[in-house]
Amino acid sequence: MDLQYLNWKVYLDNPAEAEPDEWFKVWNDWIPDAPEIFIDVADYKHVQDGPVILLVGHYVNYSLDAGGRELGLLYDYKHPLEGSNEDKIKSGLLGTLRVAKRLEDEAGFKHKPKFNAGSLRFIVNSRAIAPNSAETLEAVKPELAKVLSKAFGADGFTLEHLSDPRQRFTVQVTAKGNPSLADLIQRLA
Amino acid sequence: MKDLDLVSSHAAAHWKTALSDRLDPKWREDIDKFELDILLKKKGKVEDRVFAETRLRMGAYGQRYDNGHRHDGNESRVIPFPTDLNKGPETKWDAPGMERIKLPWGGMSAEQLEVMAQLAEEYSDGILHVTTRQDIQLHYIHIENCPSMFRRLAAVNITTREACGNSVRNVTACPIAGVCREEAFDVTGYANAVFKYLLGHPDVQDFGRKFKIALSGCKHNPCGLTNIHDLGLTAVVRTQADGTVKRGFEYVVGGGLGAVTYDAKLFSDYVPEEEVLALTQATCRVYARLGEKKKRHRARIKFLVADMGIDKFREEVLAERAKLPNDPRWTEFLATLPKFEEKPLRPAGKGIPKTNDAAFDFWCLTNVYPQKQDGFLTVTVTLPMGDITCNQARALVDISRKYLKDTMRTTVEQNIVLRWVSEADLYNVYNDLKAIDLAQPGAASIVDITACPGTDTCKLGVSSSRGLAAELRTRLATKFVQMDEAVRNLRIKVSGCFNSCGQQHIADIGFFGISRNVAGYIVPHFQMVLGGEFINNGGRYGLATGGIASKAIPGVVDKLLDLYMTGKTKGEGFRHWVERTGKAAIMQAVADVAAVPAYDKDKSYYTDWGSVREYNVKDKGMGECAGEVVSLTEFGLKAADREVFEAQIKFDAGDWKSASKLAYQAMLFAAQGLVKMYNIDISDDADKVMAEWKERFYDTQKFFDPFAGPRFAQFYIHAHDERGAELDKEKASRLLQESMLFIEAAHSCNLRLSMGAEKGKEGILAATKSGSKA
Repeated sequence: MDLQYLNWKVYLDNPAEAEPDEWFKVWNDWIPDAPEIFIDVADYKHVQDGPVILLVGHYVNYSLDAGGRELGLLYDYKHPLEGSNEDKIKSGLLGTLRVAKRLEDEAGFKHKPKFNAGSLRFIVNSRAIAPNSAETLEAVKPELAKVLSKAFGADGFTLEHLSDPRQRFTVQVTAKGNPSLADLIQRLA
Repeated sequence: MKDLDLVSSHAAAHWKTALSDRLDPKWREDIDKFELDILLKKKGKVEDRVFAETRLRMGAYGQRYDNGHRHDGNESRVIPFPTDLNKGPETKWDAPGMERIKLPWGGMSAEQLEVMAQLAEEYSDGILHVTTRQDIQLHYIHIENCPSMFRRLAAVNITTREACGNSVRNVTACPIAGVCREEAFDVTGYANAVFKYLLGHPDVQDFGRKFKIALSGCKHNPCGLTNIHDLGLTAVVRTQADGTVKRGFEYVVGGGLGAVTYDAKLFSDYVPEEEVLALTQATCRVYARLGEKKKRHRARIKFLVADMGIDKFREEVLAERAKLPNDPRWTEFLATLPKFEEKPLRPAGKGIPKTNDAAFDFWCLTNVYPQKQDGFLTVTVTLPMGDITCNQARALVDISRKYLKDTMRTTVEQNIVLRWVSEADLYNVYNDLKAIDLAQPGAASIVDITACPGTDTCKLGVSSSRGLAAELRTRLATKFVQMDEAVRNLRIKVSGCFNSCGQQHIADIGFFGISRNVAGYIVPHFQMVLGGEFINNGGRYGLATGGIASKAIPGVVDKLLDLYMTGKTKGEGFRHWVERTGKAAIMQAVADVAAVPAYDKDKSYYTDWGSVREYNVKDKGMGECAGEVVSLTEFGLKAADREVFEAQIKFDAGDWKSASKLAYQAMLFAAQGLVKMYNIDISDDADKVMAEWKERFYDTQKFFDPFAGPRFAQFYIHAHDERGAELDKEKASRLLQESMLFIEAAHSCNLRLSMGAEKGKEGILAATKSGSKA
């Protein structure tokens, strides 16, 4: 299985404090001079259970996402990547954590986001590549576990396959400890 | 990172193979051809222009910033897309675009909605957007993902073919067709027949512009909006001599919103059902043969009908009809009509259950329609600005499967209706909708605001229609329950530009985006259009009353509603109140809240709704001399604004002759004002103003709108050539609208030139001083 279109979501520890308008402004400010190719910021705060504020990029979208009715940062890599599945999983996770850290450190927020680095969701955004099935889990699990072991330690996490066949292939990752974003970034980099 | 080659990716290959057997062979061929076109384009073997029309005809539209530039509030920056390839003239290959999905008559099965939700999730941004023509649009799509999307859609019997481009667009119809208590008969099967017959038909492949068809079950309700369409079919029945009742349609042509509104013309008050497809085909053939092809802005059928006159047009179509060889499909569809008769999933109820839930009771008032079938209801699911997330859509699919038998439809007010809800289930349906945040009350009311995408994603957007709509919706919702019914039932519609995708001309209160120069700063504005009529299938158009700064609009709307409530007589409708009060008095009454504070006092007015970027600041450092010259131009534009306002007042008073004269005079002032940039001594003589304006602004194309080209300039030239002619009400109304658009274009031209003034300042100054032409 050649994994592509990998998404990671890291949840907010302080969702009640999130101010979508602040995220909108911060991400607009990120566009000029960004090393990434960003196109625009979309405001969807009028809808529920999906994107709230979306920074649209050429390669990757970032969103303040309320999908599943839990607020977090969704990192959606949209283009095919080269390398092993382990490389691609790691690259996506590292990218997500780095954006989360940048957001935590962003001076433009009055209500600073704080992420729970111990609660992550891994999604393959392609039903063609990864139907949400036990077979996909079997195929993905070894490499996913390898990456997560680096981040959390071999016994430092649990995986839960969210097996609703109508949803995309999704795995909930829960750390046993209480790691920080910085720790995880350091271990994966 | 791999090169982007989604067309031949593993995922694309999967869908191509897995779905091959499920696709209609013709649709499969269309998609295969399009896929090949993508590959050929990437090899440089297809012209940009040709590929653009090819993708448009498959519903793949451009989106804002696809020219590779984005203004960040201070300057325009290049978006460094990785490839140089284009997918159309000045349209970058890598730039995301919009995909329009056609849903004929708004019909949508649970399975279809589920697939569209999957596509929105995998290829778009997780949002499904319902349009004012019952389509669903997905944004931020990469062109190379389109073949996979098309295959997945085709597998559930949806095509995007001819969703955009110069073709027959989605065929729309009343969302309550078949369950309406007042319809002559159910038009669903007929709408489907028109869609199927014309899809890919050789006679509709050579249009100069798009062609929109709508069907309505009755004349007086707004659901079908037949009067604003290129072709409108309204169900009528006739009793024959033998007592049998025969179905047919009132047939109108040449209606349209757009920049200048046109009333549809009655072609026939009764076309028998077996003749509808044949006559439609003949109409299309005449449009293809005689319609304008080169001048895009004159290419809709409304111009052809207006130019020919309805009698001559009818004669031409009937002659065409007489020549057409018989096509069995013209009548074969009549035998298929029974299959469009829907069935409920659940038994009929015996009354809506009594509850102590006040929110439910209020929701019932605004969102529930008792069907003609006893015991069943149609429920409107209000979607804020037409948007629904993938998870909400999937949950709606579950609700549909639980209570309905595939009887969902989209509406032209950007909502979804659930038809055939048993009365017994209503409270459960409400609670299920509430659980997914889709039980907001206020369907078809003042809070159910229609908005086109505007500056959010549309290339043509001038102001933020969705931003304004969201703000108005939020503010009005807080007082909605307390509102008087007369106010509650008003409609607000917003477009981001003059093109009227938000249908502002048929709203009680409508807005379309413009920009204005306020003391050297460009300020986002909207033209306010008052007194349009949504009922009677979009029966009457409102008229623009004046530009209002975007940020002032909520205050203006509040004031307007107060004025209406305090000033209306008992039972008086909004349009009648507007006519009786007069636009001048209304504008005067709202002037205090419409005022734009100076930039130093309140910068928020200089940023649009839903934006953090300053709308656009004029280059600083203009010399004194240039400042004086610009002020003369602006003086001329202000005079034009005043004159056209006077024209409206005359028009409202029924004095069309004076209105026409003033409308032309307003254009003259605007043109003269522009000429004063270069020649402050320009004469007042109309011919001399025209000659110099033409030389400086038309021949040089400086006046041309970046998107509309010479369209607005030609309004002035035409008005100049025809000045003094006696105009009837309709023509005077058109001249008035054209005058307003010309003046708006003059404002825009002034802004464009002043934005570029830093570069060309010296040249302009030199020319001004010498009186020579730059």
